[in-house]
Amino acid sequence: MAGIDQLGDARTPPPVRSFGGDDFALPRIVVAGGCDLTLPAPPALRLPVAMPPPAVMSVAPLPPRPRVQSHFFARPVSVPAPAATPIRGREAVAQPGVEVGRTAARRARVAPPKDVVKLSERFFYLLQPDLETMLRGGKLAFPRQPFPFQFEGMAFLLPRHSAVLADEMGLGKSMQAISSIRLLVRSGEARRVLVVCPKGLVSNWARELADWAPELVVAVIDGDPARRRWQWSLPDVPVKLANYEVLVRDRDLVAELGLEFDLVVLDEAQRIKNKSSQTNSAIVSLDRRRSWALTGTPVENSADDLVGIFEFVDAGQINERMTPKAMAGAVTDHILRRTKDKVLTEMPPRLDRDARIELGAEQRETYRRAEEEGVLRLAGMGREATIQHVFELVLRLKQICNFDTATGESAKLERLEAELEEVQASGRKALVFSQWTETLGRLRDKLAPFGALEYHGGMSTVARDEAIRRFKEGRDHSVLLLSYGAGAVGLNLQFSQYVFLFDRWWNPAVEDQAINRAHRIGAAGAVTVTRFLSASTIEERIDEVLRRKRALSETILAQADGPTSAGLTAEELFSLFELAPPRRAAA
Amino acid sequence: MDAQQAEAGGDGPAFGFLTTLDSPVHGLFGGYLVVDSLGRPLEFHCTAPVKVSRAQQILYGPTLPGQLHGRQVGGALLAEGKATPAVVLTDNDAMLHVRPHTKLPVALVRRAAPAEVATGFVVGESVVSPHADDAARADQIAAQLVSLAAAVDLCEPFERIRAALDEAARH
Repeated sequence: MAGIDQLGDARTPPPVRSFGGDDFALPRIVVAGGCDLTLPAPPALRLPVAMPPPAVMSVAPLPPRPRVQSHFFARPVSVPAPAATPIRGREAVAQPGVEVGRTAARRARVAPPKDVVKLSERFFYLLQPDLETMLRGGKLAFPRQPFPFQFEGMAFLLPRHSAVLADEMGLGKSMQAISSIRLLVRSGEARRVLVVCPKGLVSNWARELADWAPELVVAVIDGDPARRRWQWSLPDVPVKLANYEVLVRDRDLVAELGLEFDLVVLDEAQRIKNKSSQTNSAIVSLDRRRSWALTGTPVENSADDLVGIFEFVDAGQINERMTPKAMAGAVTDHILRRTKDKVLTEMPPRLDRDARIELGAEQRETYRRAEEEGVLRLAGMGREATIQHVFELVLRLKQICNFDTATGESAKLERLEAELEEVQASGRKALVFSQWTETLGRLRDKLAPFGALEYHGGMSTVARDEAIRRFKEGRDHSVLLLSYGAGAVGLNLQFSQYVFLFDRWWNPAVEDQAINRAHRIGAAGAVTVTRFLSASTIEERIDEVLRRKRALSETILAQADGPTSAGLTAEELFSLFELAPPRRAAA
Repeated sequence: MDAQQAEAGGDGPAFGFLTTLDSPVHGLFGGYLVVDSLGRPLEFHCTAPVKVSRAQQILYGPTLPGQLHGRQVGGALLAEGKATPAVVLTDNDAMLHVRPHTKLPVALVRRAAPAEVATGFVVGESVVSPHADDAARADQIAAQLVSLAAAVDLCEPFERIRAALDEAARH
């Protein structure tokens, strides 16, 4: 447009354009009436017509490449698989070298424990293949296919340095531990493993190790001190097996040799429940990286039992001052407990029955006399009567319930013989438990027609192993007589279909352990459990107390407040005879 | 098995698994797992979460997933890998777009379904469809995957990656 002055330049903002008068030749307006009105044009008009440039929004094509975090894992150690896996045992013959199945409905995964905080370590566990794949990849064959819950047990143990496997008896705790040991050894994570178990179970563990981990070399620590020193010193033996007594005896030797273990496994870990015991002290002093405890009864008598076990597993995690609830919260990531009814829907049924047995006339008379005399004597002692006095009377009466001390008569034996005839006729096997070896001896003689064999702590380990072998293999042996002390733990007698509790133990957990020798994985059919109870005797009264207390350990493990003792208290013992317990002397 | 693969694998060739996890809260995480021939982890790489704006969604339209998963996330992850896997498997179609940004063969793996068999080859319980650029190497890829599939379900490592990414998101 003409006449426009370009005012300003880049250095003189803002740009304003000026318009001269000629540029504004405003139209004239002619108004009718002869008057010519013309609006005068202004000399100049300044209008700011330049607009600021619009804001431009840039959209990045894509977010920049994200930051990447990298984790590199140690190359898995490739320990050569055994050239040929020797398979032993009855099951293996029918099902040789079972490869781990790929079609397990629920695959067990190794999950990082809560105390693993570092992200790279948590990734290490999360990125491992499932356990079945690991086992298959390691070309590890099993004598029989593990149950899914057993894989889960292994997945629980493997990543943990502190663990309690507290499965109910019969669910295969030792098998789960052995398979986990096997994996740790194969992966190179463990080179020195120590398994500690009760003396009576050493040969059982040796058998289980040979079955479930045939490629592992095992040294059983026993014999004289020189031999034990040599065994402890063996450098290239991945698994050493010792009993608690040996470990207490060799505590200084183990320290002197400077032995360090990648893993220590305690079987029947309730053995160390007493914190002040020598056994606990010897176990706790072991130099170790991983601590696993196996026990079906982590809370046997009181919640404090668990404190003793945790002195080994993870010292300081719990203490006696904690409530059961707080204790349960503190140990929850370290304990795995499954019960048969939860995990083994395919477990054969267990049929329980109480056999209420009427004593014969002579046996009844002997019993009546003994009880009356005993109670009178206790009453006469007044405050001098102690628990020990009551306990002795209970034992005496229980013995009479088994056998009349005067005549040898036994209503229980008569009933047992009748039952065993049927057992024998059907080609089945029976276990008979008693708390007295003397009772077992009497039964052995009386039950000779049934090929009765004995198994108790008074026998040598060799003799006991031989008894198990004969009972297992011999068709002429229909009954095995066991003491609760020696026979209640660790034995696998799942080929037995009948269990008789000839007399009762004080603690229901021990009775359950005894029953589970037969009622366990691999049992071929229903297991019938018969508890003999002499009618109207001390046995019935004790049974009532035991029934009331049976749920204790489960109560604590289920994170509920519960009673603190499962044993018979002084009050309960005295109440068996309707006596008041003596009062404690004032401090 | 070439020298690089031998170096990476231990017992045999290494294999890569590449996938993503879309977190509604954090955004898109990428994960890259390298395993040995028995399925055991050798390397793991994961990205910080990526969020895409609405404008980017509009501008890229249907091409966004390929660009985001393949080029940005997948490319960043593969660039960090030390091992040289025989093949990189993904369960995410969009991740196939990583192929122009890597020299490694890439293939899509899915649970075997009759309709999909025509697009690839069956290994174990899975159908594997190599990227078009790797079609000529399909036989070689198949041969190597057979050994891995003997130990691992080919779709299973993606579950591990997602579990790890989930852990990373919570950490």
